[in-house]
Amino acid sequence: MSEMKKTAITLNVNNETHDIIAYPNKTLLEALRDDLRLTGTKESCGEGVCGSCTVLLDGAPVRSCLTLAVAVQGKKITTIEGLRVGEKLHPVQEAFVNHHAIQCGFCSPGMILTAYALLKENPTPTETEIRRAISGNICRCTGYAKIVEAIKSLAEEGK
Amino acid sequence: MEKFSYIGKDMKRIDTASKSTGEALFAADLALPRMLVGKILRSPHAHARIVAIDASRAEKLPGVKAVLTARDTCGDKWGVFKYTQDQQFLPTEKVRYVGEEVAAVAAVDEDTALEALSLIDVAYEPLPAVFTIEDALSPGAPQLHDVYPNNINIHVHINVGDVEKGFAGSHLVREDTFAAPEDSYFQGEPYAVAAQFDHAGNLEIWMPNAGPHLKSKPLSNVLKIPLNKVRVRKITIGGAFGGRSEISPADVICAFLAKKTQRPVKIVYTREENTVCTRQAHSMIARIKTGVDREGRVVARDITCHMDGGAYSSTGPIATSVPFLCMEQAYRMENVRYNGYRVLTNKPIRGMFRTHGRAFACGVDIQLDRLGEALGIDPLTMRLRNARQTGDTTPTKSYVASCGLTETIEKTAKRSRWAEKFGKLPPYHGIGIGCNSVQTGFPMGIRGGSQAFIKLNEDGGVTVITGIVDNGQGNDHMIVQIAAEELGLTPDDIQLITADTEVTPSDPGSYSMCETFIGGNAVRLAAQDVKKKLFRIVAEEFGVGEEDLSAKNRKIFVTKNPEQSISITKAVRMALTRNESISGEGSYWPNVDWKREWVKNPYGQLSETFSFGTVICEVKVDPETGQVEVLEVTASQDVGYALNPKVIEGQFEGGVAMGGQGGMLTEYLQWHEGRVLTPTQLGYLVPLAIDMPKINDIIVETIDPKGPYGAKEAGMSVAMSAAQAYCGAISNAVGIYFHEYPITPDKILKAIEEKKKGDRKE
Amino acid sequence: MRLPPFQFLEPTNVEEALSMMNARKETLKIMAGGTDLLNRMRFRLIEPAFVMNIGKLRDVDGIDIGENETVIGTNTKLKDIARSPLINNKFRAIAEAAFEAASPAVTNMATIGGNILQDTRCLYYNQSGMVLNGLERCHKRGGTICLAVKGGKRCFSVCQSDMAPALIAFDAKCVLQKKGSTRTVALTELFTGNGVTPFAIGADELLTKIIIPQPKNGVGSAYRKLRLRGSVDYPLASAAAFVSVTKDGEVNACRVVLGSAGASPRVIDGRSCETHLESIAQKAYDSAEGIDNLQMPGAYRRKMAGVLAKRAIKAAMDRLKEGM
Repeated sequence: MSEMKKTAITLNVNNETHDIIAYPNKTLLEALRDDLRLTGTKESCGEGVCGSCTVLLDGAPVRSCLTLAVAVQGKKITTIEGLRVGEKLHPVQEAFVNHHAIQCGFCSPGMILTAYALLKENPTPTETEIRRAISGNICRCTGYAKIVEAIKSLAEEGK
Repeated sequence: MEKFSYIGKDMKRIDTASKSTGEALFAADLALPRMLVGKILRSPHAHARIVAIDASRAEKLPGVKAVLTARDTCGDKWGVFKYTQDQQFLPTEKVRYVGEEVAAVAAVDEDTALEALSLIDVAYEPLPAVFTIEDALSPGAPQLHDVYPNNINIHVHINVGDVEKGFAGSHLVREDTFAAPEDSYFQGEPYAVAAQFDHAGNLEIWMPNAGPHLKSKPLSNVLKIPLNKVRVRKITIGGAFGGRSEISPADVICAFLAKKTQRPVKIVYTREENTVCTRQAHSMIARIKTGVDREGRVVARDITCHMDGGAYSSTGPIATSVPFLCMEQAYRMENVRYNGYRVLTNKPIRGMFRTHGRAFACGVDIQLDRLGEALGIDPLTMRLRNARQTGDTTPTKSYVASCGLTETIEKTAKRSRWAEKFGKLPPYHGIGIGCNSVQTGFPMGIRGGSQAFIKLNEDGGVTVITGIVDNGQGNDHMIVQIAAEELGLTPDDIQLITADTEVTPSDPGSYSMCETFIGGNAVRLAAQDVKKKLFRIVAEEFGVGEEDLSAKNRKIFVTKNPEQSISITKAVRMALTRNESISGEGSYWPNVDWKREWVKNPYGQLSETFSFGTVICEVKVDPETGQVEVLEVTASQDVGYALNPKVIEGQFEGGVAMGGQGGMLTEYLQWHEGRVLTPTQLGYLVPLAIDMPKINDIIVETIDPKGPYGAKEAGMSVAMSAAQAYCGAISNAVGIYFHEYPITPDKILKAIEEKKKGDRKE
Repeated sequence: MRLPPFQFLEPTNVEEALSMMNARKETLKIMAGGTDLLNRMRFRLIEPAFVMNIGKLRDVDGIDIGENETVIGTNTKLKDIARSPLINNKFRAIAEAAFEAASPAVTNMATIGGNILQDTRCLYYNQSGMVLNGLERCHKRGGTICLAVKGGKRCFSVCQSDMAPALIAFDAKCVLQKKGSTRTVALTELFTGNGVTPFAIGADELLTKIIIPQPKNGVGSAYRKLRLRGSVDYPLASAAAFVSVTKDGEVNACRVVLGSAGASPRVIDGRSCETHLESIAQKAYDSAEGIDNLQMPGAYRRKMAGVLAKRAIKAAMDRLKEGM
């Protein structure tokens, strides 16, 4: 520990600039949750498998638990807190609520961000494309059927 | 006018918007001023005597604020029942599984806490350990607890009718053995607990739980403070599936650390800790002997089931009984004998799981298929001939007030086109059926009933106060729906205070599928109580009888003349000025036999009502790899009445994923000398979106006479029967009946090869 | 789970990176996408004093398709390889391997270099302290026993890279740079076959590029992977196949490379039996190690090496015929 030095880390999260002082072994997940108190990003597996800690890095979904905070300076980070505008839910959030795609809600932030990124890239995904895109986001409650329905409803709007 | 405004409607849940934005707080999300990080030192031995614990080096580490050992918890023990109090919150003499709590620290940050753990010196004297049911039962085996000779923790014995006579009179008898290893709850949320004490010695504590009152009592006992000082707070819960019901040593440890430091402390489990150190589901070996008559009706059944319970009792007596009870509910059987043994081993502790007993349930169903095949009767007919019916009494003497099992079988068969498919599918395609039944609660001592309060505000809005817990399944919304419906208000008018032991009255908790039936009834009665009070005032005002009034759309009106109405706000204001109470109370105590006891007296009304489910599954097997592709699943359940159909569909679909896709194809724990080798998401294979088949949901309604609006429970019978349907389908595809679960590709390939060689004939 | 402490280095060009490596040798570990390294660090399997992020290096990212060879920079993300129309056209097995390697979000992070150089894995090694504390140290953890094979005199950990078999099937080479020198070696030479130290690469050497020779005339390739779920997971067995023909349509090369069959990818020359799928399967079965150290029994995984080899060759042949 004595060897490790704290450094200033500047993060651009949800279009706001945040400066934190941290050791380099701090993951982006820890920085978001512990330093910036953005606790919508969840830790479930801690090894990049389950997708609960998904955030967008320059628009692409990544695992914040496998990302060092110090290594993503200068990139645009989007967390679940950055999706809604004012009082209104983002359409993806709204679709998840309306289609019962959320049960316990622990996987939902990561799932919603993954769906958001998918629809940005491909506004009219097929069911197979949807299922594949969210296959790195594990949900223990829903069996995914209503999540797929929610994303599909937006895909149909995208047509 | 429609009968109901909200009940029975597809409504979006009140709790999900905040979950979609990241606003909903789970226990690990809590941050309190001056909060410390708690960490637990765990046993690296499966079985060892604790010779000495020296924490002095850890205590001296800068940043460490407290170290906790068994000295602090006084070796106090916990158990769900008086006769199962065998687990110390921190052990004084022995550790009994790899991962058991030994000591704990609270420090200023996680790195310091972890370093402190490494500085606690524990001297162990390793003892011989047992890791399997067979080893634990063998003569001369190492003993885990003095109070459980031969490592037999629980023995449930049920004997009804004359089993031997039944077999003698049977046309055909089969005996088979079925087995499955441990499975895991794998909740999305790893366990976490945060606690703090105030200056007056009141404890506030947050953790995922199935019932706050189930947590507060043991905390009160061990901390030696009265219940009104233990405030288990509501917090969003990331799934339970049966695994969040009991007190956890972590709760006690966290509370003690907070007390010692007089600072808030939070303990967040790693994924590995959640898998190993919360609860696991039992591994099981079930020997089932069934005799049937010429038409395939079960005449007699004799079952001996051994369950590996791990190191401590947990919910042992319940867990030892429930797999049998589910099957005695689902299928008729007159002469039956059951011997259930829960065996202790040096493995992590096992509890009640949503799909508890896959070896048992699949065994019963596979055996029905085998007997049917020998008799030339197809599996569907076998189910129909043995299906439980309304008005029956189960072997252990529960009256079945409503049962739609036959309807679920028929509708599921029709939707899945069973008749066109069974026996007519191409090679390596198969179709299978499973049926099951679950309770809506059981005798749970003084916490067996639920009470609810409703407080009306001067603007006509209400606050509902109940102990009902939402683990993620949507119970909070169920409360809102019922209160809004009864009071003629809108869901927006309803606020909730739930699952907080400081405020909310007694409730069994989200346990054994009882919240809708018991808690829901209590809320409904509380709403009716306060409604009656308003009606009395309005009736007087209008000069009509109370029974002539209705409430809807925020108005109270004369039912036959809706024009004559008054707003609920106005009615409330009238009540206030007349010094009339505007709060309601409801209490529901289910009609079960309170003399029934799991071990001593396993007879009498178990639960006031039961749900019944059927799943049919169609699969395709790759004969070269043994891999299974699930083509379609149809799930159906008699839910009594669907309060919110979309919520029920969600439970069906989640149940198919957990019980069928995961439970039969990929989910099991692998071991090395009592160590779980697959504790992570890479090791324990929870199904992914890409894996899930198309699921057809069929809701069957029988309108239970006592359920709120006729409702029972929302999907557990599907979760259970999904495993059985998958099992039947794979067996049908391969032409070999599988007796060991889950049915992984290696087992399927082996069966195919043996069948080809002619070593195995079915 | 917390990462152990380390000092962080972030060079912006290859020269700078090589200097850092030269100065710190074994005390430094390279982080590309982070998906393999950080998990091993979190389990405290390794606790390097220095972690060097190569994510900001210029000139080692991207796909450059030339006339005689295609060069893929070490930092190229698996997703970019999976989506590249050119890779899909010319090197189908490589695109398939990249696509199947992990979940979409992980392929957004993971790089080709990182995937090739991911450490070998074993159920008795890739574990947290929850499993390893109190267990005797195995070969890979500096001990003298094997927990997977009783009495095992060596380490049987498994190379579960998806990219390596596919690249080797195309006879790929790689460029290794260190301060003051550069060497290009066949990718096969990067693997030692020793589970404890699976890579023949110096602590000061940086893998910068992967070079795939342009096959002449017709080529068909395919990658087949076995796992229990449809995404996310490492291969329990895998096979990459490559078939090429002369101008006259005669098969002049036929290779199958097995993944998850041992500590290194296993190359099988299939020329002698290109028309007999069963003999390819038998060769693959003979070549694969079937150890009970991943999920599914080793015997089953070994059998599957045969099935996948057969299926990969068949798919490659079919594609060749279709002119892909």
